[in-house]
Amino acid sequence: MTDTLSFDSNNSGKNGKHASKYQNAEPDDKNKNWLEGIFRKYYFYHYTQLELGELINEHEFGFRLFDGKIRRHLAFNDKKELYAYIIKFSPSDIFYSSSRYQSPTAEIDQKGWIGSDLIFDIDGKDLHLECAQSHNLVLCKDCSFISKGIISKCVGCNSTRLQIIDIPCARCIKSLNVEVKKLVEILNDDFGIDSECIFVYFSGNNGYHVHVVDKNFYDASAKKRNAFAQYLMGKGYLIENLGIRRNNEGALIPMSNKILYNQGWRRRIFDSIHLSIQNHKIDDKFVKKYNRMQDANNNNIKDAINTHILDLSAKIDPNVTMDIHRIFRLAGSINSKSGLIKAFCKDLDSFNPFVDACFIGDSKVEIESKLNIKISLKGKQFSIKTGKNTLPEYVAAYMICKGIGDIQNQT
Amino acid sequence: MCYITKYNLVVRFGNKDLAKYPFLKEAFSYITKYDFKLEDLDSKDYLHLIYKAAEKIENYLFFGRYEYQINYSKTHETIVQEEVIIFLISLLLIKSISIDAVTKKFALLESMRFEKYLISDLNTADRDDKTIKLILYKIFEDLFSTKILLEVDVYNFYKIRINDYLDHPIAFQEKEWNLINRTLHNGFVYLDGNEIVRLFRNELYLLIIDRIKKMSIDRIPDTIMAISKSIKSRWEQMHPSINAPVYNAVTPPCIQHIYDQISKGENLPHPARLLLGTFLIYSNKTLEEMLELFKRLPDFDEKITRYQLEHLAGKRGNSKRYFVPSCEKIKLENLCYETKICQGISNPTQLIRKKLDI
Repeated sequence: MTDTLSFDSNNSGKNGKHASKYQNAEPDDKNKNWLEGIFRKYYFYHYTQLELGELINEHEFGFRLFDGKIRRHLAFNDKKELYAYIIKFSPSDIFYSSSRYQSPTAEIDQKGWIGSDLIFDIDGKDLHLECAQSHNLVLCKDCSFISKGIISKCVGCNSTRLQIIDIPCARCIKSLNVEVKKLVEILNDDFGIDSECIFVYFSGNNGYHVHVVDKNFYDASAKKRNAFAQYLMGKGYLIENLGIRRNNEGALIPMSNKILYNQGWRRRIFDSIHLSIQNHKIDDKFVKKYNRMQDANNNNIKDAINTHILDLSAKIDPNVTMDIHRIFRLAGSINSKSGLIKAFCKDLDSFNPFVDACFIGDSKVEIESKLNIKISLKGKQFSIKTGKNTLPEYVAAYMICKGIGDIQNQT
Repeated sequence: MCYITKYNLVVRFGNKDLAKYPFLKEAFSYITKYDFKLEDLDSKDYLHLIYKAAEKIENYLFFGRYEYQINYSKTHETIVQEEVIIFLISLLLIKSISIDAVTKKFALLESMRFEKYLISDLNTADRDDKTIKLILYKIFEDLFSTKILLEVDVYNFYKIRINDYLDHPIAFQEKEWNLINRTLHNGFVYLDGNEIVRLFRNELYLLIIDRIKKMSIDRIPDTIMAISKSIKSRWEQMHPSINAPVYNAVTPPCIQHIYDQISKGENLPHPARLLLGTFLIYSNKTLEEMLELFKRLPDFDEKITRYQLEHLAGKRGNSKRYFVPSCEKIKLENLCYETKICQGISNPTQLIRKKLDI
């Protein structure tokens, strides 16, 4: 792709279909064909949204095409080469390694790993939110029936081969924001990572990716990254760290006069259970308060503390953090699970993914909805009825990506 | 907050200090400047040092004692030279014995000896005595490539950058040393005086093993060879190869792994000792039979082991008998080495019953 190649030159017709001679979707799959055209149009007009750092040639790229095939171990000399590839093949998903390599196109063990930013993935699914029970959908893989709410058997055919369709709501996003803030706070306070080095991205569907660009952690091995993840999740925390030990009768008792540096998880837990430690020392006041708490918890203070640890922990996916060869969705690219983009969140509180990550055009298209549903995008509420609906492209794309609508013949 | 590093304070060891830390480069320079060569050890002049090293090693290996007296009744220079040479001779002897279990036991007790000196130095030093703290900094920086800093405002806690801390194997070996169980603040792991010394001992243990392994010597002096042969034969008499002492039963893979570790002279973490002890008790082993196995551990102390085994068996303390930990617990402790025979069991003792049922 060169600067002179126009979008129309890749467009096979003037009828609004963005088909191309490099079309990957099966010709009879109308939805994928339509999406492929829509995605190509987005990348043609919005390629500057793609966030690419320096040294692009040292990163591995991967693409999922609309035929379902995945191409990995690719590299590009510069941005223009990449843009050309993207517009030519219009992938359904674009991935990029956080790691830099000497030979990014080589097999994993031959790549020559240089280093990688730290990446944390917070997924709405892992939060098990109550609201998700009411607004998520379930698709039966056998009869394609879509049910509302969480069910264990298909209402139509009793099949148990079911797939959950995430339809995150504003409350889901709010809960995700809380988790991101917890993670960022631990990274700030305990890991000493400056907020300016922490970049929060909406994943494009139902989660956040937090990227840490800090030279102190850039060369950390997978093993070390796993230790970071376990730390952030509070996994394996020993209660003895709180200056408590088990006596001969098995009861947990405080160690009077013990000097403990009141920072990290210790401070976080003490603050959360309102047990203050003065001057980093377990004093009489602490012991008295601890004993009162133990009585209040029927001598089961360990369980109470574990509940606090769970609340305070960052709900990250440790496999993502420790996998130094993983390729991540490229910021600015469209997530084919939603039609929204992976977007940078400058200010988490004011960021609204249903507005700020919605970049697909608003030309009207006809779509056959599989169910009645309310969707809010770009600040507008759409009450969609089962059957034919005329909707903006961005709503249609969202529905098709979610598998709840089919595009109708375009004229 | 004040950071003290070797960069802003010049480290000046007294000679006496160096005699206690013969593995430091500064100490080593005391013998290199006199052109000392290994062949010199054939000379009778060094015989008393060879005997001293041999006595130290025998104390370590056969009695588990690491009491050792540095002879301070000489000039400072001679004291350091002699201690460095004794250290070298010790490494040579161990290299020449060439038994993994011996190397590990020596490394553990030698590192414990140095740990004792360090604790004593840190305790006797004035809180403001920067020199002794600098020894610590120097050891960590020179030997373990770790820069440690001091948080003077908070009870003199030591601190190490998180990434550097995780370079130390202990951070992944024992639960209490995992990152989650450390105090982290502003990018540093905080350690108190006792913890920094334990970290030192563990690292020094690994370093001594590494130095012995990497020694390549064309010819070992005759006197040293003769002594090493005698120590080796005494060790082999005392430690015939072990057979898994589980009778009429399938040995659970987790237990077999512990036996293998013991055979190699590895030191066992506390949860592994607990697993082995409870398993042996369950297998109706007598206290003496169990002690026979535990005495192969590099840090074996009969009195403590006897007490702990009796405690596990419910013959001490609150009379509670400890049962063999569940497979789930064993997995959590990273002690599980599951194979096909473990299918369907939730406790290693079930394998014994399985076998008995056949």
